[in-house]
Amino acid sequence: MSSQDTRSLWADAFSRLVKDRWALISLLVVVTYALVALMATLGIGMPDWRSSLGIEYLAPSGEFWFGTDLFGRDVFAKVIHGTKIAMSVGLITSLIAIPIGVVIGALAGYFGGWVDDIISWFITTFSSIPNIMLLISITLIMGKGLLSVYLALGMTGWVGLARLIRGEVMKHKEREYVQAASALGGGHYRKLFVHILPNVTHLVIINTSLQFQTAIKSEVILSYLGLGVQGEPSWGTMIDDARMELARGVWWQLAGATLAMFIIVLAFNILGDALRDALDPKLKGK
Amino acid sequence: MLKRLTIILSLLLVVLGCTREQNYNEKVLNLISPQKIKGFDPIYAADMYASNEIGKVYEGLLEFHYLKRPYVLTPNLAESMPEVSKDGLTYTFKIKKGVVFQDSKVFPNGKGRELKASDFVYSIQRMADPKLQSTGWWLLDGKIAGLNEWRDKYASAEKVNYDEEISGLKALDTHTLQFKLVKPVPQFLYALAMTFTSAVAREVVEGYGQEFQNYPVGTGPFKLGYFDNSNRIVYEKNPTFRDKFYPTEGAPGDEERGFLADAGKKLPLVDKVIVNIIVESQPQWLNFQKGSADILGVPKDNFDQTVVNGKDLHPSMASKGIKLEMVNSLDTTYIAFNHEDPLFKNNIKLRQAMSLAYDRDEANKLFYNNTAKTAHSIIPPGISGHKADYKNPYVAFNVEQAKKVLAEAGYPDGKGLPELSYETVGSTVARQMGEFFVKKMADIGVKVKISTNTWPELVKKTNTKAAQLFGMAWGADYPDAENFFGLLYGPNEAPGSNSSNYKNAEMDKLFKQSTIMQDSPERTALYEQMYVMAADQVPWIYGMHRTAVTVLHGWLKNYKYIEFTQTQIQYLNVDLESKKVLVNKL
Repeated sequence: MSSQDTRSLWADAFSRLVKDRWALISLLVVVTYALVALMATLGIGMPDWRSSLGIEYLAPSGEFWFGTDLFGRDVFAKVIHGTKIAMSVGLITSLIAIPIGVVIGALAGYFGGWVDDIISWFITTFSSIPNIMLLISITLIMGKGLLSVYLALGMTGWVGLARLIRGEVMKHKEREYVQAASALGGGHYRKLFVHILPNVTHLVIINTSLQFQTAIKSEVILSYLGLGVQGEPSWGTMIDDARMELARGVWWQLAGATLAMFIIVLAFNILGDALRDALDPKLKGK
Repeated sequence: MLKRLTIILSLLLVVLGCTREQNYNEKVLNLISPQKIKGFDPIYAADMYASNEIGKVYEGLLEFHYLKRPYVLTPNLAESMPEVSKDGLTYTFKIKKGVVFQDSKVFPNGKGRELKASDFVYSIQRMADPKLQSTGWWLLDGKIAGLNEWRDKYASAEKVNYDEEISGLKALDTHTLQFKLVKPVPQFLYALAMTFTSAVAREVVEGYGQEFQNYPVGTGPFKLGYFDNSNRIVYEKNPTFRDKFYPTEGAPGDEERGFLADAGKKLPLVDKVIVNIIVESQPQWLNFQKGSADILGVPKDNFDQTVVNGKDLHPSMASKGIKLEMVNSLDTTYIAFNHEDPLFKNNIKLRQAMSLAYDRDEANKLFYNNTAKTAHSIIPPGISGHKADYKNPYVAFNVEQAKKVLAEAGYPDGKGLPELSYETVGSTVARQMGEFFVKKMADIGVKVKISTNTWPELVKKTNTKAAQLFGMAWGADYPDAENFFGLLYGPNEAPGSNSSNYKNAEMDKLFKQSTIMQDSPERTALYEQMYVMAADQVPWIYGMHRTAVTVLHGWLKNYKYIEFTQTQIQYLNVDLESKKVLVNKL
């Protein structure tokens, strides 16, 4: 008997993930961004975006990789600060959206009937409102700022996941292992949270990776529109600055912010894809 | 299927092609306004953006002569300049005959009726109406006999009685209007050239009710065609506009500059005015570049493409027939403290420290391409009362000194001071100015957060005293220092012009004393004394006196810089022949 057969789904998935070169690179990128964000949050070893170098609009050079902005601040330092903002938005909104999505979806899928009707109605209504409009109205009600961005994105990001979990739970609750649990006298709580949920966790993981990059993109859009982060750099406000600076031939702020965003969004997408393949039980052992 | 698709596509191209084609049959003026406005009610025309729009439809008794400099008042709806009694208290106006309001459904048969003296009585009563809270009341407060009493009488009443006679504001007959003042007020006539005192018809105000501000019906050169307060406003020539003519004389040099080419022609000179509301400077610039705007204030980031040697137009633009105007504006920019806030009210040291930490030279370079002058106090150069040799010690940029003063204020390194809120509007440049301020304050340990608003939101916050710190500029309403000192006069507090709610008994006393003095060396001396006091007390963080840097296309005629822009548009002309040629060069 080969050792493969004794490996758990997770170990198997991991071994498949590391075999995919692009996935591995993407994972490294995500880890690097996370580390940079963490260090910037703790204030370790990262340049200070506030300090002015005195000379505005310096082109990129060996000293300033991404040049300087209109106040003579290092654009690279602003990109780093933007990374911190973006990663924190991704993390916190995922932390808000995922529990909501999982719980609501699981309840609807498991209980069915009128519970499902109400929740499905709510999900459908919620998702029929254009996302960006909803984000704008939430930030307008709660006032502008990072906290509003977290909440706005968190409160709107759970819809897709809830739908997915609902369908999956519906599928699982008819399965033999759940029936077995019933036969052994397992209650609703036990069946749902101990038996079914662990079997849909892989969806949550895949979704988190996609949720993360959606949140980052939304934060950039909100900040670009002036509704997001206030008074500190974010990739969105940097792109907003750049719109006018392009007339002066100052392209580095746009390039820095766009590049930083492009890399992380791409990495999350590749990683999401790879995770889906790796965690697909049908592909297990292949 | 593919064939059908191509037909649709080609149809689309034809339609697009048509809209791109310029219409050379009518004279259209294309303008850009950088802020949206709330509506067209003259009594709320407190900001320049609103005043410019309202001034196209409504008119007052007087206006500033379009060409003559220094600025002089000239009759607009008045037949002539008023008769003033010997004691300087009674002003009697004859009103032009045959002036009619624009046609509107509120009038019998939809035909606009003739303007009467009583319309002015009504319009000025509206400014004083305690229920309406006009943002222009400060202009007349305590000046017209009986008007304050009328205002106070109805302050807590259910309904305001407009039919009650006011002793100082009377229509003697249908075309004679008389003002009686309680004291001599040298600036009184200036108030009658401002948009606030424009003539509105009572039927219109009552007929439209709440919707009045969206349906302006004035006597002015243009009537409103289309109004979408966040995108565009379209005006059409008013077909029933009276015979008003382009001036036949101007200032020296006007003839040579072509400003008298249209002398004696009936106004307005264009058929249509389109005002596009574009908040961001980049699309403003692109619209000007492709000829969709006839005139534009140059955005800071496009300055280097426009101006060479600090004063000349860039050759690449000159070759397209574009012209450049650089004129010192009569204005002062500032960051206002809300003096209702106990933090600032009793703590002059805090205000001084923040003023010392603000780097004006840097701001001038970043935001005004070094074309502005540092403001040492409230009065801009060009208005008597400005002391050119005076240097305000708190305007000099000095971080060390600022830190020291901040410690004396009770907040060493900003400790103990709560985070302050700076209110501004949501454009990129405004945000950058805000960031600059935040950064400079952070250098001495004062924490500030930026709060962005639309322009009407910001105006509302200042009118209700809800803004803590806010960036503003005040442009002269008329060429008299009184207009600026009024910004620091206690009784003018919000919603009046003193939006920072500054109160200082000594300042108020001097102000009151100065307002009844005629222009004289004594008054100038008093103004200078107030100028120094306004500097010492640091009621605001003074910014700049700006230079207006404007570009205009060659086809736009008669554009002469005027500080008081509300009636300017009717004098502008478009040369369609030269537009046909120049558009192809863009």
